[in-house]
Amino acid sequence: MNKRTKSPRAEQQFFNDPALDRFMGAFMALATEHYVLLDRVRAMEKQLTEAGRLDQEALDREPDEIERAETSADRAAFIEALMRPLLGEQDALGASGKFSLK
Amino acid sequence: MNDRAFTAAQDFLLSAKTYWSTTMYRALRDSHGEEGSQTVADVAQAIEDSTLYQVYAWYERHLQRMKYAGRYGLVPYHNERRIDLLSELDSEDSECTQESLTLPAYYTVVDIHQHPGGVWSDGIAGFVYERGARTTTPLAGAAEKDVHERFTDLILEEWKPANILDMGCGFGKSTQPFVRRLPDSTVEAIDLSVPCLRLASYAAREAQASNVRFRQMDACRTDYEAGSFDLVTSTMVLHEMPPKTIEDLLDEAFRVLTPGGRMIHLDFYCLPDVFRRFIHYGHARRNNEPYMQPFAELQLSSLVSSKGFVDAQVAPFQESDRVDLDGNEAWRFPWTVISATKPKT
Ligand SMILES: C[S@@+](CC[C@H](N)C(=O)[O-])C[C@H]1O[C@@H](n2cnc3c(N)ncnc32)[C@H](O)[C@@H]1O
Repeated sequence: MNKRTKSPRAEQQFFNDPALDRFMGAFMALATEHYVLLDRVRAMEKQLTEAGRLDQEALDREPDEIERAETSADRAAFIEALMRPLLGEQDALGASGKFSLK
Repeated sequence: MNDRAFTAAQDFLLSAKTYWSTTMYRALRDSHGEEGSQTVADVAQAIEDSTLYQVYAWYERHLQRMKYAGRYGLVPYHNERRIDLLSELDSEDSECTQESLTLPAYYTVVDIHQHPGGVWSDGIAGFVYERGARTTTPLAGAAEKDVHERFTDLILEEWKPANILDMGCGFGKSTQPFVRRLPDSTVEAIDLSVPCLRLASYAAREAQASNVRFRQMDACRTDYEAGSFDLVTSTMVLHEMPPKTIEDLLDEAFRVLTPGGRMIHLDFYCLPDVFRRFIHYGHARRNNEPYMQPFAELQLSSLVSSKGFVDAQVAPFQESDRVDLDGNEAWRFPWTVISATKPKT
């Protein structure tokens, strides 16, 4: 049977800026991965609860102030990582802006 | 990839597809409004540059891409299970291959509906296609009769054919209802794809069906004698062929039908308005279906009549109890029944 080599053709473009087409692809890959993980955590909780190794109610309960304080630094670090790139600032000193060798 | 992760990812993509085909489709339709557009180009002019349309189009293309390819796609999933899957088929099916057959170029130049490698080039392609086809019509619930059963109902209401030819049978989904419901009839099922035919033939053996053969053959050039069948049928095949090939298929259907025999195809054709036509043509492009638009633009009824058939009819087909043929509430395929009779004399 004939086998075809993978087509090197460019993907179709839908947005005015093709970068957005590609970014959406990465975004949906992450969203899928996130759902797969969610599904797995849920399945694990179910198995552990059924085996008597996990207190599902305790897990679902609202965390108290102490626990929330304990995790707040981690939350802040996550937010920092997520949002800092939006500011468009350098982490290491160097030339700025868009460059061209045209 | 484990089965749980694969199922979770595919379910996730299917939920996204359902959202796309209902909420997102409706938003797009509402943004276009009821009146104004006379032609497909008018609709294009009105909405193609909108962000909503761009998002809609992106999701249509890429949800299908992710269904087949990518980390949790049907192809990598089945590829990992290749040895087990192929060993199921191992008992030789000589009828499923025709040594002298060369696959037509129209068929091999494109990976139809974004199935990498098409439905023919890889031994596991039949399994991939079968799994994918379970969710082709996402809105039809599992409890509901599927489109193939409903199409068979329609034919059997008319009469009980004794000799049936299913052209482009794929992995046998369109063939099975005839085989099961007409145990005393003989069914010949042909396709170009060996991997699909082998799966079809395996499933028929499992079901102990002895009134069917699955054979590799071009529907435009079969080896059946003239007048062999009282029903020639196909499901979702015509739109995958360029116009010249469709003509050849019609000629061949005419030849192998007995005088008075019926030709009944199920396909995508009747589009109720220009908005739906615009959506359909875009779908064709985004889903790698290059012959879908030319097919939708044929003068089908006169073409069929020009081949010698009489009583040519082209009518919308309701694929589910839940759809309204004139309604525009959700995205759907423009299911259509194309039927005609070979004259008695
Ligand atoms: C969308 S599938 C439909 C399969 C099946 N009828 C069903 O309803 O599930 C279209 C099929 O047409 C077959 N096909 C395309 N061109 C053909 C030809 N010239 N002769 C026979 N089969 C053909 C393809 O291999 C594919 O299996």
